[in-house]
Amino acid sequence: MTGEEGRVELRLTVDGAERTASIDPRSLLLDALRDELGAIAPKAGCRTGDCGACTVRVDGAIAKSCLRLAVADDGCEVRTTASMAVGGELTPLQQAFWDTNAFQCGFCLSGMLFAAEDLLERTPSPSETEVREAISGNLCRCTGYDAIVAAVLSCAAPPVRSSRGA
Amino acid sequence: MIPARFRHVAPADLGGCVAALAEGGRVLAGGTWVLPEMSRGESAPAQLVDLRRAGLAELTATADGLQMGAMCTYADLLGSGPVAEHAPLLRTMAGGITGGWALRNQATVGGAAMAARPQSDVPAALVACAAVARVAGPRGARDIPAAELFAGAMRPSLAPDEVLAGFRVPSAAGAGSGYVKLKRGGSSWPIATAAAVVRLDAVGLCTEATLVLGGVAAVPVRIDVSALLGRVVVDDDVRAVTAAVADALPEPWGDVLAPASYRAAVAAPVARRALSAAVADAEEERA
Amino acid sequence: MTTAVPPRLTGSPVRRQDGDVFVTGRAVYTADVRADGAAHVALVRSPHAHARIVAIDAAAARALPGVLAVVTGDEAAEHCEEIPHGLDAGHLGGHHAVVRPLAVGTALYAGEPVAAVVATNAADAALAAAAVEVTWERLPVVLDAEQALLPGAPLLYPDWGDNLIIERDVGPDDFTAAAADAAHVLEGELRTHRGTAAPMETRSYLADWDPAAGKMTVHATTQNPHVLRTVLAATLRLDEEAVHVIAPALGGSFGLKMYGNREDFIVPLLARMLGRPVRWVEERSATLLAGTREQVLRYRVAAAADGRLLALDVHAIADHGAAAPTHGWGMAHVGALATGLGYALPSCHVRYQVVATNKAPWVGTKPFGKDGATLLLERVVDRVAQVVGVHPAEVRRRNFVPPDSFPWLHTSGLELDSGDYATALDLTLKRLDHPAVLAEQRTARAAGRLLGIGLAFELMPESADIPGALVSAFDTSTVRMSPTGRVTVLTGVTSPGTGNETAIAQLVADELGVPMSSVQVVQGDTERCPYGFGNISSRSIITGGNAAVLAARDVAATLRATARAMLQVEPTEEVVLAGNAAALAADPSRVLPLAVVAGAVHTLSYRLALDVEPRLESTRTYRPGNVRQVPDALGRMQTYTTYPYAVHASVLEVDPETGSVTLLRHVVTHDCGTVVNPMFVDGQVTGGVAMGIGAALGEELVFDPDGVPLTTGFKTYLLPRAIDLPTVELEHLCTPAPGTPLGAKGVGESGFSGALAAVVNAVNDALAPHGAALESTPVSPPRILAALQAVGR
Repeated sequence: MTGEEGRVELRLTVDGAERTASIDPRSLLLDALRDELGAIAPKAGCRTGDCGACTVRVDGAIAKSCLRLAVADDGCEVRTTASMAVGGELTPLQQAFWDTNAFQCGFCLSGMLFAAEDLLERTPSPSETEVREAISGNLCRCTGYDAIVAAVLSCAAPPVRSSRGA
Repeated sequence: MIPARFRHVAPADLGGCVAALAEGGRVLAGGTWVLPEMSRGESAPAQLVDLRRAGLAELTATADGLQMGAMCTYADLLGSGPVAEHAPLLRTMAGGITGGWALRNQATVGGAAMAARPQSDVPAALVACAAVARVAGPRGARDIPAAELFAGAMRPSLAPDEVLAGFRVPSAAGAGSGYVKLKRGGSSWPIATAAAVVRLDAVGLCTEATLVLGGVAAVPVRIDVSALLGRVVVDDDVRAVTAAVADALPEPWGDVLAPASYRAAVAAPVARRALSAAVADAEEERA
Repeated sequence: MTTAVPPRLTGSPVRRQDGDVFVTGRAVYTADVRADGAAHVALVRSPHAHARIVAIDAAAARALPGVLAVVTGDEAAEHCEEIPHGLDAGHLGGHHAVVRPLAVGTALYAGEPVAAVVATNAADAALAAAAVEVTWERLPVVLDAEQALLPGAPLLYPDWGDNLIIERDVGPDDFTAAAADAAHVLEGELRTHRGTAAPMETRSYLADWDPAAGKMTVHATTQNPHVLRTVLAATLRLDEEAVHVIAPALGGSFGLKMYGNREDFIVPLLARMLGRPVRWVEERSATLLAGTREQVLRYRVAAAADGRLLALDVHAIADHGAAAPTHGWGMAHVGALATGLGYALPSCHVRYQVVATNKAPWVGTKPFGKDGATLLLERVVDRVAQVVGVHPAEVRRRNFVPPDSFPWLHTSGLELDSGDYATALDLTLKRLDHPAVLAEQRTARAAGRLLGIGLAFELMPESADIPGALVSAFDTSTVRMSPTGRVTVLTGVTSPGTGNETAIAQLVADELGVPMSSVQVVQGDTERCPYGFGNISSRSIITGGNAAVLAARDVAATLRATARAMLQVEPTEEVVLAGNAAALAADPSRVLPLAVVAGAVHTLSYRLALDVEPRLESTRTYRPGNVRQVPDALGRMQTYTTYPYAVHASVLEVDPETGSVTLLRHVVTHDCGTVVNPMFVDGQVTGGVAMGIGAALGEELVFDPDGVPLTTGFKTYLLPRAIDLPTVELEHLCTPAPGTPLGAKGVGESGFSGALAAVVNAVNDALAPHGAALESTPVSPPRILAALQAVGR
C-alpha cells in the first residue's frame, strides 16, 4: 500500500511487539529496523553480507538484514539480540560472551551471538572446528575470535556419553 | 538504503513472475547478490520481480532424481534427504558456501546460477550434476542443460524476459562424488573448484566419469576424462587425465584475488584431488 | 575479629563493566544516536586517481527529490580554513600540503571527496551524488613511490617540484666504519604491501549547529574528541568552547579514527552551512581507502661470524599516497625510530623518504609503522642465521639487549625501560615444544611436505610524545566521590572498545576500597572530561590510568583524614580503605562505612574540624618521567614511555601445488609489565595476532593500472575469519615499567608485528628446502606459488 511521498506501510513483529511503520520502499530490512523502528542492535558494517553485524532472526531463521528488502518481509516476525534476554535475564550465551571477554568494541555482537545460538540449537555439543565454521560468516576485528570460540564452547551441552560396547 | 527507486512485485506464481518481467526489470531470488549491487548503485532496475511468493522452493525426489525449485536455499539443500541421496555433490558444495548459516538460509542455488559469476561454486557443480534448468518465458517453457546455461561471465543464457523456475537433477545415487574448492581463506570467493562424479560397476570398472572445473574460466569447463571409462581407476590414471587440464582452459579467469596464471597453475591439482575423492567415494559406494 | 581484605581488583580478570549493555544490543554507537530531522550526506568522489576538476554541474542533482544542497570543494573552502596538520611535514624540513575538507582544483586519488550532497534521506543523497556532473581533465598518474621519485614523474603538488613529502635520517650514518670487521655483509630488499585498519564500524558523524547559541555539537567516531575539537574549531573559525565533541561507543578503530581526517570536517561544515542536523555514515568502500604499511625497505647488514649484528643501514621508501593532515606519515618516522630496537646493535641508520603518490593517504594504523621495523629485523636475523649457520633462535639470543643493561639507549635515541627478551624467547620455545616441532619438520620434509617454523621478536615503543604533533605522552583524569560514596572518573583517554574504562575503574576501586559497581568511568565528552589526547599509541592505562590512580590517591587521603577525625585517632594512625569501608589498620574493628565517611566530608567538615580541604575530587595529570625532548648531541630524543615486547612462533604448512598456507600453531610470550586485567591483555594480544596474520597472508589494497581501487569490500579485502586462525597460545612475563605508579606498559598494539613477521619467516622456512624465498608481502598463495615456480618447482 503506497502512502505519503511514495512510502509504504510495513508491518513487522519486532522483538515480540507488533509494529507498523511507514517506510521508504528502498529500505533494506536493516534500514527499516534501525531508522524506522528504533531497533539498533543490528549494525551496518558492510552492506554486502560479509561481516554479519546486521544479523537478525526472520521467522526464526538467522539472516543478514542488509541482504533483505524490508517490503519483502512485510508480516514477518523479526528478532534482534535485544530480545535474546528474556525478562532481563541474559541467556547463557550472552553471559558467556560477557564473562570471557568475547567482544571488545561489540559491533559484531548481533552476528556472533546469533550465529552461535543457531549453532548450539542445531549442534548442542559442537567441536571447536564446528564453532569456528559457524562463526565464519561473521567478522570480528578486535578479538582474534579465540574468546568467542571459548564462550560458545562453554555453552555447549556435555557430550552425550556413548553406550558401552556400541 | 538502495539509492534508486524501483517497483517491487512478488507475484504468487511463476506465470505472474513472467508477466511482470515482461515489463522489464530484474529478478530477485535470495537477494544476496542483487541487493548489494543495488545498494552500491551498480544496478538500478526499474522493477524487482521477487520470486519468493511464487512457489519455487520445492525440493523433492522424482522417479529419476531431484526436482529443485529456483528458490531453494543452500540450507534447504543441506537439510534435504533427497539431496543427500541423489545429489551428494550439491550437498558438499552447499556445506562449503562462504557466509555462514545466515547466508545459507537466504542465498539460493537458482540465484547463484543466474548471477553466473565465474567465482561461484554453483555453475560448475550444476554442470557436473548434469542438471537441467527449467526456464519460463513469454514464449513458453523450455529446458536448458546446465552445460549450456552459462553464456559467459555474469551472463546466463536466458533471454532477459525469461525466469528460471528450477532444475531437474538426475540421480547420482550409487555414484561417487568429489568436490574440491580452493580459496584464499574464509573471506575469499572460490579461486578454483573441481566437481567430479564417478560411477563404478560391480567389478570396479569405471562406467561414468565427469569432471568440471569452476573459477578458472569465465564459464564452467568440462574436462574430458573418458579415458577412465572401462578401467579400474588408479592414481596414475587420475593424474594422467588431470595433468594437462590447464590446456583445456580457453582463457583462464583472473581477478583481484588471483591472476589467471595462478588459476591455470592450480587447475590440475584441484582437478586431481576432486577426481581422486570421487573415485574413492565411488569405491566406498560399491563396497 | 579481623575483617577479611577483599582481593585486589587490579590484576584480576574483571569482566567489562557495561558488558550487559553490549550483549543485549543496547550500546549506542555514533550511527545509533537519534537525531530527528537529520539530513544525510553523500559524497561525490573522484573516479580518477589524478584529474583536474574543470567544472562541477550540480543542477541535475539539485533538482532531484529530497535534495537540500550540493556543496562543491570551492564552496566549502569559502566557509572554512585548511585543515591543521597533526604533524606538519612542512615544519620539519619537508613539504606542507594544503588539505581542505573537499578537494579544490584537483583530485589526487580515486575516491577523494570533491563535493557533498545533503538530502532528507541517505538514498536520495546517494542518488543525487551520482547525478552531480563533474567535468574532469585527466592527469598522468603515479602509483609507485620509487617511480614518483624519478625525474619527470607526474607531480601531485607542482609547487613542490618533486613528490617528496619529507625525508629524514635516524641514527648515526656510520655503517662502513661499523662494518669494517664484519665477517658477513648482506644486502637485501623487503617490500611491504598496502593494508588498512578496517574496523567493523565505518566512520560516522552527526553534527548539529545551533545558530542562536553559536554552538556546534558533533557526535563522532573519534579516538581523540578533545583534539578533534581543537582542530574543528580552527577549521570552522570557531572558538573551542563553541564546539562540543561527543564520542559514543566506538566500533573499533585501530588508528583509523584518529583526529584530523578530512571526513571529520565535512559533516560539521555542512551542518553549519545548512543550519540543521546532518549525518553521514561512511560507506565500507571508503573506509577501505585509508592506507598504511606500503614500503620498500633496502638494507645492508653487517654481522660477526657468530651471528652478532654489527651494523644495519636501511633506506625506507614509504608509499604514502596523497598528503594528508593526519599524522599518518609519522609511521615512517616511528618505523625508523623502532628499527633494530631491542637488539644490541652498535650501529643502526635509517634514511626514510615519505613519497606522495596518487592513492588515498596513509592513515595512522596499528601498530603505527613499528610493524615494518619488526618485519625487517626479523627477516634480517633469519637471513644472518642462515649465513652463519646458527639457529635463528640462538642468533636472536646473542643479539638481545641483556636484562641487566636497562635503561638501554638505542641508536635512534629511544631508551628501553626494562625487559627480559631471552626469557620470553625461552618461554615461547618451551610452549612450542621446539625440539618436537623440529623433529616433526624433519619428518615432514623427508616426505616432501613444506612445514615451516618462524620466530619473531616484537618490541613496541608505546605512549608516544612525538614532537610537533598535537598529542602528548601525558593525560589527565578526575576522580570524584559523591556524598553517598559513588565514584565518577572523568578521563581524557578514550576507549576504541578495548575495555580500558573497566581497567581504569579497577584501579580506582582498589585505591578507594570500593566495589566496581560504585565506579563509573566517563570518557569521550569534551564538556565533561578534562582535556586529554584520547586513545593513541597504547596509552590509555599508562596515562589516563596512572592519572586516575594519582587522583584516587588524593581522594583516598581525604577519606582517610576524615575517618581519623571521625574515629578520633592520631594523624599517624593508618587507615585502610577496603570493602567499601575505612578501618584502622591497627584495630580493624574500628570501621566506618565509606559512604558515611564520604557523607561526613560533605556535611560534617566544620564539626569534625577537618584539617584537609573538604573535597572528594581530584584532577591529576600523569606525565611520564622518561620522555626527553631536548635533543642530545646527535639530535636524538626519547619520545616513548614504555616498551612492551613479545616473542612469537608460527608453525604452518605450505601446499606446494597451490601455495595455500595452513596455520598450525601460533605461540606468543608477551610482556606488558604489570597487568591490570589479564583478560583484556589477552584480548589485545590475540586480536593483534589475528590482524598481523591477516596482513601477512591476505589483506591487501589493490589498484587497477589507473589507480582505481579494486578492493572495495570484504569480498576482496580479505580479513581473517575464525576458520583461518589457530588458537593463539599465550604465555606471559612481567617486567614492570620502572619509575611509574603502576608498572604497566602499553598493550594496544601488541601481537600484530610479531605475528606478521613470524608468519613471513615461517613461510620462508617452509620454502627453504626448495631454495625459494619471498621477500615481499603478502605471502599469499599466488605469490608463494610464483616463488616456487621461480625456482623450478
